[in-house]
Amino acid sequence: MSSRNSVAIITSPRPRVGKTLLARLLTDFHLQEGRPVAAFDLNAGEGTLAQFLPEHVTRSSIDDLKGQMALFDCLMTEDDATKIVDLGQVSFERFFTLAFQFGLAEEARRRGIVPMLLYLMSPDRRSVEAYRDLCRRLPEAMLAPVHNEIFGVAQYGNKYVPIGSGTVIVRLPLLAANVRKYVERPPFSFAASKAAAFDVDAYIELKHWLQRIYREFRDLDLRILLAAPRHTPIQQSG
Amino acid sequence: MPKPAIILIGADKGGVGKTTVARTLLDYFGARHTPTRAFDTEWPRGTLKRFHPDVTKVLDVTSVSDQMKIFDTVSSTEARVTVIDVRAGLLSSTLQALSNIGFIELGKTGQITLAMFHILGPSIASLEEIAEITRFVGDANYFLVKNHINETSFFEWEPATYKSYFKQIKGVEEITIPKLNEMACEQVEVAGIPYASFVANKNTKGETANYSFVLRGYVRHWLGQVWGEFDRVKLVDLVSPKSEKNIRQAAG
Repeated sequence: MSSRNSVAIITSPRPRVGKTLLARLLTDFHLQEGRPVAAFDLNAGEGTLAQFLPEHVTRSSIDDLKGQMALFDCLMTEDDATKIVDLGQVSFERFFTLAFQFGLAEEARRRGIVPMLLYLMSPDRRSVEAYRDLCRRLPEAMLAPVHNEIFGVAQYGNKYVPIGSGTVIVRLPLLAANVRKYVERPPFSFAASKAAAFDVDAYIELKHWLQRIYREFRDLDLRILLAAPRHTPIQQSG
Repeated sequence: MPKPAIILIGADKGGVGKTTVARTLLDYFGARHTPTRAFDTEWPRGTLKRFHPDVTKVLDVTSVSDQMKIFDTVSSTEARVTVIDVRAGLLSSTLQALSNIGFIELGKTGQITLAMFHILGPSIASLEEIAEITRFVGDANYFLVKNHINETSFFEWEPATYKSYFKQIKGVEEITIPKLNEMACEQVEVAGIPYASFVANKNTKGETANYSFVLRGYVRHWLGQVWGEFDRVKLVDLVSPKSEKNIRQAAG
């Protein structure tokens, strides 16, 4: 299948909002579909993306030039692999400062790469302000707010406005409690999970849940295909 | 017809980054589509020529015939701006030569725009030149450039001493060239192209190259800061004040 080169940055300035879970799911979605994918983990500590999917994830750091080149140069390569970045709160500011200084959005447009931000919503002011800031700084990126349903039916009102052609809020459905214990200990791949390792009920529940989130990802894929470069004047970096 | 502008870039010491500043200026005017030419006085082999071969001529500024090449063509050339990278140690003598042939006078009477970019070295000795140079340039269009592009060029002057020199010149503007990541800097040197071409990912022939996005990003950000400094001191107004007025008149 031919699809546009895209970079999905999964992020939030808050810890424990479901970034890594979403990054795991998106990576596994590509693996399951048999599409090339390269995932990058910008987190340290326990339960990171690289621990869950060690064979498919590169541990990254943007503290020094070498790490920056390893990550950003790869993100801007048109090799048909979808790039996924799990961007935690520790590197949040630094990543977007660099992306802005380097002119990542303009470079992506030149290369026909669609940059997409999957932003885990939370109601706190800091998170809302950081989202607004990103809308302003990366006017050419697709911004898709993600509602993690583990936080209930939160009303965010118009605090998080999706940006980009036809972009809507992405839903990360709540995973039933009886399934969680199976998927929360690394390493674990949703794509490679075998029925034999589960209770029947839990397995059916898991498959059902995966179907729902994968449907959201397929919608996102369509939007990436439709994403026409928006005609905004190129801004000189400050 | 806007009056021609001449920008002299000099320092009495070598290795303070005159050519770097000249290159950023050529990129700056290039990005603004201002016709510009440059003279590299590092005769016979100029560094500036290597990076901007199309607009740069290398010449020997101590020879009278080469002086004529610069100054006799000032009003006949297409170029609105002439950038002269004055070789280390030749700043005072170049200014003396300019004075002798009446060029400084042309600047003072407003027939040409004369600007001086004085690149400061890290030692106190270079401050003593300032007094010497102001003798020639007067108090107009004088820019003191602190070049931090390399880590090595740190500034160790005592603030009081610096101020006392600084005060001697009226209307002097200070320009700061920030530090550029060493590796990014080195890559541009190796590529032998203008900074702007490196940022645009082009090789010497103008074809798409394969430079690192991150290194280009560092140069992009740095060049943006340098140009921001040139904007701040209103360099464009200085080199084309008349054309600005014409545009405004044409617009009604």
